[in-house]
Formats: sequence, structure tokens, C-alpha cells
Amino acid sequence: MQELVATASLGSVYLLFALGLSAAWGTIGILNFAHGAIFVSASYACYELLAIQQLPVQVLAVIAVAVGALLSVVMQVLVFDQIRKRAKSERAAETRILIGGIGAAMIPVAIASHRTKNLAFGLQGSGFQASVWEFGGVRITSIQVVTVLCALGAATTLGWYLKRTRAGLALRSLGVDDQVAALMGIDRRRYAWATMAFAGGLAGLAGVLLTLNLGAISAESGDALLVKAFACVVLGGVGSTTGVVVGCMTLAASETWVLTQTSGMWVEAVSFGIIFVVLLLRPQGIFGRQEVRRV
Amino acid sequence: MEPFGPKHSQKRSRGQLVGGVVLASSLFLAGCGGTAAGPGGAGPSSGDELPETVKVMVSVPLTGPAAFAGAEAEKGYELAAAEINESGFLGDGVTLEIDVRDTQASVQKAASDVTAAIADSEVTAVLGSLSSAEALAQSPIAEKQKMPIVYIQAGSPGVILGDYTYRFPTPMSSYYNILSEQIAKEGWTSIGMVYGAWVPTLKELGEVAIPEMAEELGIEVTSSVATQQTTQDFSAPIKQVLESDPDVVSILQIGPANATAMQQLRQAGFDGPVLGNSSAGANTLEPAGENGAGMIWPVDFAPGTDDPASIEFIEKYKTANNDEEPFPYAAEAYDATWFVAKAIEAAGSANRGAVKDAMVEMAGGTWTGALGSDLSFEENSLKVNGTVIEWDGTRENVLYSAN
Repeated sequence: MQELVATASLGSVYLLFALGLSAAWGTIGILNFAHGAIFVSASYACYELLAIQQLPVQVLAVIAVAVGALLSVVMQVLVFDQIRKRAKSERAAETRILIGGIGAAMIPVAIASHRTKNLAFGLQGSGFQASVWEFGGVRITSIQVVTVLCALGAATTLGWYLKRTRAGLALRSLGVDDQVAALMGIDRRRYAWATMAFAGGLAGLAGVLLTLNLGAISAESGDALLVKAFACVVLGGVGSTTGVVVGCMTLAASETWVLTQTSGMWVEAVSFGIIFVVLLLRPQGIFGRQEVRRV
Repeated sequence: MEPFGPKHSQKRSRGQLVGGVVLASSLFLAGCGGTAAGPGGAGPSSGDELPETVKVMVSVPLTGPAAFAGAEAEKGYELAAAEINESGFLGDGVTLEIDVRDTQASVQKAASDVTAAIADSEVTAVLGSLSSAEALAQSPIAEKQKMPIVYIQAGSPGVILGDYTYRFPTPMSSYYNILSEQIAKEGWTSIGMVYGAWVPTLKELGEVAIPEMAEELGIEVTSSVATQQTTQDFSAPIKQVLESDPDVVSILQIGPANATAMQQLRQAGFDGPVLGNSSAGANTLEPAGENGAGMIWPVDFAPGTDDPASIEFIEKYKTANNDEEPFPYAAEAYDATWFVAKAIEAAGSANRGAVKDAMVEMAGGTWTGALGSDLSFEENSLKVNGTVIEWDGTRENVLYSAN
């Protein structure tokens, strides 16, 4: 039972992080490799604010969402929009966006790294202390409960928005063919900004929740999460919200299982081995659609 | 939509390929050297007199995960160089010039720094990386190309290869058993471990040093779980360790992972003692607050020491750094720089071979410096006694020192 709590908690952190990555990649075609830097920057901004003024965690969460959304939109405007504008083809733009994201990520990470001297930083200045509850020998903390609720809430809202609203339909149409969508009157730029704001906001929220959950992160903590979130999105199927949920929980469950049942040495090999096998059998991911190209 | 994944993989593969080519080139250059010295020959003057400027390259990580340690070490290197030059230690008009290079946490960059030093005929010696992975790339090149190199930290086996490679101090595993005293005193009979297997020093501690210490003390290792570089949540391995009901838990992690593991250990209901490692120092446990209290670990140097030579260094360091207390990295770097300077002075030459000969002789005697008095060398590494530190939730306190 304790393994289930660990899986749900870890999977929810991956989910909060991966949802934004998946939303931007699956709709407006931006695979944002600066997502980890946004995640760290939002948490770091809260850390710096706490040095000036003690703030409750609820306020910190709102600030982190705002910082994440702002940074993400700034990257869209200054980096990704510019790349798309100058690229001769969609294919050329995709590669440059990837590299542009990696390059842009280095700036906020370098600032946080320099300011913290690459030491661990946390949000203990908020005075927050997670409560620990025990039910029949199973221990769970308040921050784990909040993380799971936030992740499931965000996934449900995103899934509903994409499937049940006209705006969601428009967004999905951009993911299928943005040129045809533009001919249908869909303003790609407006949707791109909104999607990036949503993705960045989720990264910011994940940053604060993970920092509270772990106690401390460092300027480079986003890198490890980025690799895992990328794997979760690919495993679940790009563009599928349900797929991201399943991908994140599968990775978290396999990691937890290996870490609780073995010496831990094979955790990466087993977890990513499972993903590899699934992708061999189903290259489009568990919930991904087969790509159809009409000539 | 065209999937991005494969393209990304190709980019990474290309990056790795380029990195591999750089490293291979460095190693190839090293290999081509044969028995002769490298492109720089024997280094600076082979005559009897020292040149006006004796150049020493420092190659440490100043960015990346170990940046903090690198930055602290840099203060030690610079303090020692300033003292050497102000006191005219190398002779009238002779200046020791420290050329600081950032390895950028890259093994390839660390290797290419040493290759560049060898190619530069003005460089007499290198003060090598504190990262084991980087030092392991630097050592074969330096040893083969006859470039004296002195490391700090870098506790992995394989860093010390011969008369051209030295280390301040011995690896943590060599003095970790100073904790035996505390274990015996408290009567702990079992230990569980969560260790970062991706760090050579911690792997050595978790798989060799602690099991050996446990065997000597007659205590049982109830559970041992390895974690990887990407592990951020430690609740699963902690659960596995606590199920084996140990008296004491050993958390061997790097940087923020120490604070995380301590917080999750306490949240999992364990309120007993915890054995850590020196990377839990430098206030790394501060974010864990009260949950961090109770971790103890051995260090080669602590500001609370009563050794007169160490106290002298601490005073000098505080004067030069706005009353800040030094961390071990600064003390190690300070001693490593003085070791190089003393070898140059004893050799009376900046020639690499002559400096190496002087280092061999010095390593046969005793050493007094920031790390302590009358210390000896063991296989070209300075042997330290160790001091045990305890984190009380707000600060580090010296628990006891080895005799």
C-alpha cells in the first residue's frame, strides 16, 4: 500500500511537469526543452521572494504559476515565434525550436546556479511544515495529497478543455495541420501564447510542489525531470492527455517497484527498458494516433 | 505531425559523438607521447634558475553540479598563491601564476585542459579537478605526458597512477571508519543504506567501506539500496531500508538529495541517527530544517579543529574572505598549491621532471598545512585523521576528532 502512495505521489509530480510539455507539443508543435528551466525558475523566484518577505505557500503557488506562465510566453515570443518566422519549412523550424529551447534554458538556469552557488535551495522560509498522516501503517504527507489532487485536477481540466470545448477543438486542429487550421480562421499565435502560458503555469506549480515535497532542489533539478517527462509523453502518445497520465504513472510505478524490490541499481534500465519495449510494439505510444500522411 | 523524438536523439547522439571524438583525440595525443614528454617537452626552463613567472594551471568545475566546491577551492588556490608571491617564497622576482580553467562539469573539457597545459611549455604543473570522473580522465594523460598534477577530493580508485599524480587528501572511504567510535559508543547493531551509486566515491563507501566497517564492528547491514543520478524522490528506497528495521541509516547522496532524503526519512517515521558523507556539508541540509538534525559525517577538515596549523589557515582565510569560515575544499586547495610551490622551490627549477622528483621526495616525508600537522602520505595521497561533524538542524558542530 505504501508503494501505491509513493507511485501516486511520484507519478503526480511527473504528470504536473509533463502535462504542459505534452500540451504544447501535441497542439502547437512546440517541444519546449526549456520547460525544466521554467520549472526551476518559478521555484527559484519564490525562494528569492521568501528572502525578502515571508509568504504562505498558497501565495507562493500563485506566484510560481504566474512566473512560469510569464517566462513561457516570453520564450514563445522571443525564441519560438522568431524561429518559426525565419524558418523556410516546418521541418526546419522543428529542429531549430528544439535547439532554441535548449539554448534559452541555459540563461535562467545559469542565473539561478550563480545566485545559489549551485547549492540546494528550498522554500522553508514560508514556514510550511508538511503534516504526516498514518492510516493502517501507511504514511502520507499533506503535500503528497495536494500534489496528487493538483495533478489529477490539471489533467482532467486539460482533457475536458481539449475534448469538450470549441477552443480545445481549435487547438487540436492546430496539432493536426496548422496551415489548414489557419485557413479556417484559427489564430495560431493567440492559441500558441495561451498554450505556452498554460504549460509554463503548470511547470511553475510543479516547481513549488516538488520543492515542498522534496524539501530542496537545485538549479539543475529540471534536467532529470525533463528527460522523464519526455519519456512519459512519448510512452503515452503525443497529444493524448490520457496517455500522459498513463505514461507518468507507468514510469513512477516501475521506478517504485524496482527501488522497493531490488537493490536499486537497475532502476533506470528497467524503467526505460519497459518504455523501449512498449514503443517497439506501439511506436505511436499507448494512446497515440497512427500518423496518416496523404499524398 | 512529424515526431520530434528521433531528431532529438540524433542531436544528442551527435553531441555525444563530438564529445567522444574530443576525448578520444585527447587520449590519442596522450598515447602518442610514448616515453617522451608532450608537445611542451619537459615544460619550462630545464636550467638551474626559476623563470620570472612560474605558471600552474588550475582545472576545476566552476559551473555545473560541483560548482560550489570548485568556487570554494578557487579561494584556497588564490589565497595560497597570494601568500607564496607576497612572501617571495620562490625567490626574489619570481611569481607563481595561477591560470584557472573551468571544466564546466565536462570530462572532455577536463581532459582537454590537461592536454592544453601539456602543450603550453610555460606550464609547470596542474592542480586537477575535484570530480572523480574528471580526474579519471586527466590522470592517464598527465602521467603519460609527464605533467605533475595534484588533485583535491577526487576519491575514486584510478586517480593516482604514479609519480606524477598526487591527491589532497586520501579518499573519504579511508577515514570513514572514524565513525566506528560513535557506532560502538552508541551500541548500534544494524545499519541500512541508501547510496548514490552513480558517484564513484559514494559507491565505494556504500559497497566497500561501510560494509567492511560493519563487519569489523560486528554490526549487520540490513538493507542497501542504490539510487541513480535522476532519482529525486527517495521515499521508495527509504521504505525498503526501514522495513529491515536498522538502528542507524546511512544516507550517502550529493547536494540537495541529502536534504530530500533526510526530510523523507523523518516523514517515513525514522527518528534515529543517520550517517552521511561530506557532501552534506556547506549548509546543504539547511532546507530540511529540523528534519536534517541528527546526521553525522566525517570530514578531512573542519573550522572547529584544534590543530595549530589548521587554525593558522582558518585565520588567514577569514581575513581574506570577509570573516567567512572555510569549507574543506578551500583547505585542500590551499595545501595542494603549497605542495606544488614547495616542490618547485625544492627542485629549484620549473622543469616538470625536476618538480616531480621533488614531489616524490616530499611524499616520503610528513606534511603540515591547512589539513593538519605532521600528516603522512599514503600512495601519493595525504593521509588525514578525520573529524566527525553533526548537523543540529541549523549548523554544523564538531562531534570529535581522531587522534
